[in-house]
Amino acid sequence: MLKIENLRKNYEDFSLDCSLEIRKGCVTGLIGQNGAGKSTTFKAILGLIATDGGTISIFGKDIRKFTARDKQDLGVVLSDSGFSGYLTVNDVIPVLDNLYESFDKSFFVEQVQKFQLPRSKKIKEFSTGMKAKLKVLVAISHNAKLLLLDEPTAGLDVIARDELLEMLREFMEKDEERSILISSHISSDLETMCDDIYMIHEGKIILHEDTDVLLSDYALLKVDAEQYEGLDRQYILRSKKENYGYSCLTDQKQYYMDNYPKIAIEKGNLDEVITMMIRGGRL
Amino acid sequence: MKGLLIKDFKLLKSQKNFFVIIALITAGMPIYMEDSSFIIGYMTFFGSLFTLSTISYDEFDNGNAFLFSLPFSRKSYTLEKYEFGLIIGGIFWLFATVIAIIAEMTKNSMMIKETLMTALLMVPVMIFLLAIMLPFQFKFGGEKSRIAIIGAVGLVVVTGLAAVKIAELFHIDLAAVFNSLPAMGMGMAAAAGIGITVLVLLISLKISVGIMNKKEF
Repeated sequence: MLKIENLRKNYEDFSLDCSLEIRKGCVTGLIGQNGAGKSTTFKAILGLIATDGGTISIFGKDIRKFTARDKQDLGVVLSDSGFSGYLTVNDVIPVLDNLYESFDKSFFVEQVQKFQLPRSKKIKEFSTGMKAKLKVLVAISHNAKLLLLDEPTAGLDVIARDELLEMLREFMEKDEERSILISSHISSDLETMCDDIYMIHEGKIILHEDTDVLLSDYALLKVDAEQYEGLDRQYILRSKKENYGYSCLTDQKQYYMDNYPKIAIEKGNLDEVITMMIRGGRL
Repeated sequence: MKGLLIKDFKLLKSQKNFFVIIALITAGMPIYMEDSSFIIGYMTFFGSLFTLSTISYDEFDNGNAFLFSLPFSRKSYTLEKYEFGLIIGGIFWLFATVIAIIAEMTKNSMMIKETLMTALLMVPVMIFLLAIMLPFQFKFGGEKSRIAIIGAVGLVVVTGLAAVKIAELFHIDLAAVFNSLPAMGMGMAAAAGIGITVLVLLISLKISVGIMNKKEF
């Protein structure tokens, strides 16, 4: 669906260099801290910024050759941008109806009612949650094949986040060919949604793993100095000094459970994996 | 393109109170003004320049990033702004002309023909104005483009003054040159005017498309 190879973009104080791929029918997560390069990646995919190297292709087509017609199949949410705040939901409906060939007006109106979005109030007067829901609604209302969602849940409370993720799940259920690239700095969103996850840090992809594998095979070993010395470190990805000794990140939990029954092994969750990948030292 | 036009008309609608006030002021102008043709120029510029405001609205709050992810090309966006400017300018022009003519008629004025001439002359002037302002707006955005336009006007004035000085140096009588122009005849002058206007508009459009294609959001 989407393939990025060695994409490069240099700014004065930041440079992006990443490769990633989104397969048909999959939800792929992109996780990283603020300023890690998530939004830059999205803008490059959408051709909003010029790049300094690498290739991006969507549906097998180089984005430099992407036409207005090709963009019909994309649904987009950007974290810091949306429809003009001076417009209302009622204003947006005919605009979308005329821009998208397969805009599903009745679905859109139905969802607007379901989420109780005011139809004749200016968007700039909407709450953060309302704005976020409208953005996602716009993205999923025209039968897109690929959704590109940059921080769609940023700033939302738990309930609004849940509703939003539910909208995305329903979108995926309707057609098995659909795919989503979703970024977030909130790991629990991605843990429940994504088939695979890319972790980005300082403009580089530092980890790519299937979510299942991440949750089942990754673990934190908590060892004291003595245990650490005797530890087989071939499956240790990162380690970090703690006051009790060391905590070590592994992607082979079972190996250490079998061979070191005495050490404390904590099941990995995304937050811990991220923290260790970023803060921990390589061996 | 139609979707974009609708968006701009909706943005205009969001400012409707402002436009209603302007329209009322305009309608009242002929009561205390001798020459009604002024309102034609005033309204036409006022209307057509709203297209510049829509560019500012689009840019506001980083809106362009999302806007340009929608299914249209950068070229259609640029074209649409010209189209919108011409449509709005045209509507305001028509409104002002009708008001001016009605005013002249109620005053039993002898100036109806002159007013019509002024109205016709305003069309190429409006196109010229759009052709000059739009590339600046695309390139520099709302605030900076105003400064850039002031700078450009200054440059034109300085160039003009320099041309006059140079002509004086070479003892060319510019007044005589201009005086010989009416000899071209009204038809020729009108044809040349239309030709130049269309040419300027096309050049402006090409420059604007170039500017927009290079922009990053």
